[in-house]
Amino acid sequence: MQKKVFSRFTIILFIIGLMTAIQYNTVNEPNSRDTRDVWEIRQELSREKQLHSELLSEIGVLDETLLKYEAASVDSPEQVLQSTVKELKEQAGLTQISGPGIEVQIAPSLEAVAVGQNIEEIPPNLLIRFVNEVNRFKGLSLSIAGNRIVNTTAIRDINGETTVNTEPVGRPPFSIKIIAGTLEEIERVYNFLLASPLLDDFYVENLSVKVTEPERDLEVEAYEEQLNFEYLEAAEGE
Amino acid sequence: MWLSILGLILGISLGLLTDVQIPSEYANYLSIAVLASLDTLFGGIRAHLQQMYDDKVFVSGFFFNIALAAGLAFLGVHLGVDLYLAAIFAFGVRLFQNIAVIRRILLAKWSNKKDIEEAAR
Repeated sequence: MQKKVFSRFTIILFIIGLMTAIQYNTVNEPNSRDTRDVWEIRQELSREKQLHSELLSEIGVLDETLLKYEAASVDSPEQVLQSTVKELKEQAGLTQISGPGIEVQIAPSLEAVAVGQNIEEIPPNLLIRFVNEVNRFKGLSLSIAGNRIVNTTAIRDINGETTVNTEPVGRPPFSIKIIAGTLEEIERVYNFLLASPLLDDFYVENLSVKVTEPERDLEVEAYEEQLNFEYLEAAEGE
Repeated sequence: MWLSILGLILGISLGLLTDVQIPSEYANYLSIAVLASLDTLFGGIRAHLQQMYDDKVFVSGFFFNIALAAGLAFLGVHLGVDLYLAAIFAFGVRLFQNIAVIRRILLAKWSNKKDIEEAAR
C-alpha cells in the first residue's frame, strides 16, 4: 500500500516538475530577438559612422573657437566674443544671409484656374512636410513667404489661416527660398526637389510648384521676432 | 519519500535539459495547471497523513483540477472576464489550508515522539 502511494506521488511530482520547468523556459525566453539581416546592420553601422564624423567635425569647430579665444585672450577678448555672438546669431537665423540658393514658387495650378476652382490656402501639414523633406539636407536656411524658419518656428493653422511664425502665409502664389553653404549642395537640393513625389502632393491640393535653377546669390530674410528663451537653462559642466 | 523527490528532480531536469517551450499565449494556462497540480499534491499529502488517502481520488483530482482550471481560464479569455482569478483564488486558499493542516499534523507527531522518548527515560 505504502509503496503504491509513493509511486503515485512520484509520477505526479514528475509531471509537476516537468510543467514547472517548461513554464520556466517559456517565461525566461527573451522577448525580442534581433532579426535584422546583414544589410540592415550595415545601414545602422553607416548611420552611426556618419554621426561619428559629424560629431568629430563639430568638435573640430569648437576646438578652433577655443584656440581663437586663447590666442585673443591677451589683447582683445571682446572682439572674439562678438564674432562668436555673430556666428551664433547667424546659426540661429537672426541675421539676413545670402548665398547660393533656389527659389520654390508655389502658385495655383493652371488646371484649377482654368476650371475656376476656389484658390485655397496651402494646408499647414503639407508645408510642414515640405520643410521636413528639405531639412534632410543639413545646413540649409529657409524662408517661407518672407518668414525665416528657425528652430522654434511653428507652422500651423490659426483661425483658418496657414501661418509661419504666426504670420499668415496668404493665398498662393508665394515663394520659398532655400539657401545652402555651397553651390554643389544647393544643386543636390534642386535635383532632389525635381525628382521628389512631394510635387504631386502639391498638385493634389491644386497647387503647382516651380523650382528655379540654382542661383549664385540669393538672400534669405532674418527672423524678425524675439526668440523666447523662457525654458532654456545653462548646461552644467565645463 | 525519497523516490518522490527523485521524481520531482527528474521532471525538472528533463524539462530544463530538453528546453521545451510552449507559445507564450499558453503560458497562463500552464501556470494555472502548475498551481492546480500543487494543490492536488498537498491535498494528497494531507490525506495520506490523515490516513484517508484514496488512490482514485488523488489521481482523478489531479487531472480533473488541471483540466477545470485551464478550462476556466480559456472560458475567461473568450468571455473577457478574468475567470482564471477564480481558479487562482480557490487553489491558493486551499493550498494554504492544506499546508497548515500538514504542519499541525507533523508538529503533533513530533511532540508525541518527544513525549514518548521522555517517558521512556
